Amino acid sequence: CGNQDCFRLIVLGDSTVGKSCLLHRFTEGRFPGPLHSDPTVGVDFFSRLVEIEPGKRVKLQLWDTAGQERFRSITRSYYRNSVGGLLVFDITNRRSFEHVKDWLEEAKMHVQPFQIVFLLVGHKCDLVSQREVTREEAEKLSSAFGMKYIETSAKDATNVEESFTILTRDIYELVKKGEITIQDGWEGVKSGFVPNVVHSSEEAVKPRRQCIC
Amino acid sequence: MGAAGAEPGPRHGREAGPGGRPRPSAGGAGPGSRSSEWGGRGGAARVDPYGFERPDDFDYASYEAFFSRYLVVLTRRAIKWSKLLKGKNSIQKSLKVKRYIRKGIPNEHRALIWMIVSGAQTNMEQNPGYYHRLLEGEKNDKLVEAIKTDMNRTFPDNIKFRRTADPCLQHTLYNVLVAYGHHNKAVGYCQGMNFIAGYLILITKNEEESFWLLDALIGRILPDYYSPAMMGLKTDQEVLGELVKLKVPAVAELMERHGVMWTLVVSRWFICLFIDILPVETVLRIWDCLFYEGSKIIFRVALTLIKQHQAFILEATNFPDICDKFKQITKGTFVTECHTFMQKIFTEPGTLSMTTIDKLRETCREKLLSQG
Repeated sequence: CGNQDCFRLIVLGDSTVGKSCLLHRFTEGRFPGPLHSDPTVGVDFFSRLVEIEPGKRVKLQLWDTAGQERFRSITRSYYRNSVGGLLVFDITNRRSFEHVKDWLEEAKMHVQPFQIVFLLVGHKCDLVSQREVTREEAEKLSSAFGMKYIETSAKDATNVEESFTILTRDIYELVKKGEITIQDGWEGVKSGFVPNVVHSSEEAVKPRRQCIC
Repeated sequence: MGAAGAEPGPRHGREAGPGGRPRPSAGGAGPGSRSSEWGGRGGAARVDPYGFERPDDFDYASYEAFFSRYLVVLTRRAIKWSKLLKGKNSIQKSLKVKRYIRKGIPNEHRALIWMIVSGAQTNMEQNPGYYHRLLEGEKNDKLVEAIKTDMNRTFPDNIKFRRTADPCLQHTLYNVLVAYGHHNKAVGYCQGMNFIAGYLILITKNEEESFWLLDALIGRILPDYYSPAMMGLKTDQEVLGELVKLKVPAVAELMERHGVMWTLVVSRWFICLFIDILPVETVLRIWDCLFYEGSKIIFRVALTLIKQHQAFILEATNFPDICDKFKQITKGTFVTECHTFMQKIFTEPGTLSMTTIDKLRETCREKLLSQG
């Protein structure tokens, strides 16, 4: 990442909730549309710079994952090296919302001994008339698990920029406060010049972070 | 969802014309016909002979330059093959046939040769009515639902797979996948199989043959790529890593240094057998050999891509760069020139015996199992 701070984020959620579209919108500024909506198999990779405060830019490495259950045997090895995650469900698909807890469970199990900061994303919010999940219940669930909640649409670009920026900013704050520390052999955060990084050997072996997810 | 119900779709004969609505170009004939490449505007058509829309940034000029040269090869091969087959619909495996297959099966014989050399033909003949009984039998709802989810998402850029196409290959695809999921319950349905079955349907234009070819690939040729644990897939990705260590050590070292897992850059190569990674014609040439020679062809292709672009990959100085390089090495003239590319896969990686691969598979598998 050169002299830039670099965060690794993973995007999770059921098949067809729109993870890849969200990432295309965010990294390329376009909505792929129905002609390019083929399912992601395995894992895909994107990256982009974001400015989280004037003059402060963070490079994001973004991992797109397949939603189909059996690919978890491949995608789960990526949790461990991610500092943050967008947990995406489709507001027009009740079941994808009900699976949010399963995704959290799954992530928690495989991220040990580290933790991931999650943002809950209610996607496809342009399709209001087909809504099956209310904003209230999504907010309730997210706060129960200590996450923030945001509703996005890759189609009309609503809150796409915001969702990634909010998550990045939150992680950045945790890094600044020292609640997330950079460690050898862990790829979640790479630093160019993150403030408050203690490079003592004592710091490096300290157990990392409180559970946030 | 237009694909509901499991009625066996129309069984297209191989001679059936192209389905779907009229092409935007004047090119009229099916994929078997070379002339179909040429639209009324004196250039390659906007939709390729298989029904795929060419992307906006498609490089028509270099493609046409390539194709006019390839046309000569295709013509020569077509003559050779018709002499070999002598109008018969059968062939025995032999060194000569293997050599012929490496040089490419003409599209008009492709389905037949795939069927024979993969053993699919024999299985189909020994199990008459089996495919249709699978479709008529009781269905697993969860499986059916998973397949339906992907119907509109399989080749949305192919006019024959549009929901509005007539005949709509979504129905055929649905049937093949549902039948297969009930035939091979340990595998069921895994994303990636939709693309593979889709290609089989485009080539055979026959539902039942597509089913048996899918069975040849998943049940015999590929070692356990699609079952829930995906052990064979994970193993083969590690095997590729080991082969790169042996044959292109500098790239292996780069990957290691930046902590790039092989699965990140090559999972799609294995799961989709290069569909949507390499150009259609190149994929089909690879599959010609895959059906005859087995899964080691996948390693040959992967190693060729990596070795050929070694210097280019080594320019990468960080993680995202490496991932990006791996996306780029599957594009451009090198892979479009399918005939030269196929020659390269048998020379560039050097010797690659099945014994080596089997040994590596064993050690990699053990390593994976011990990691849990």
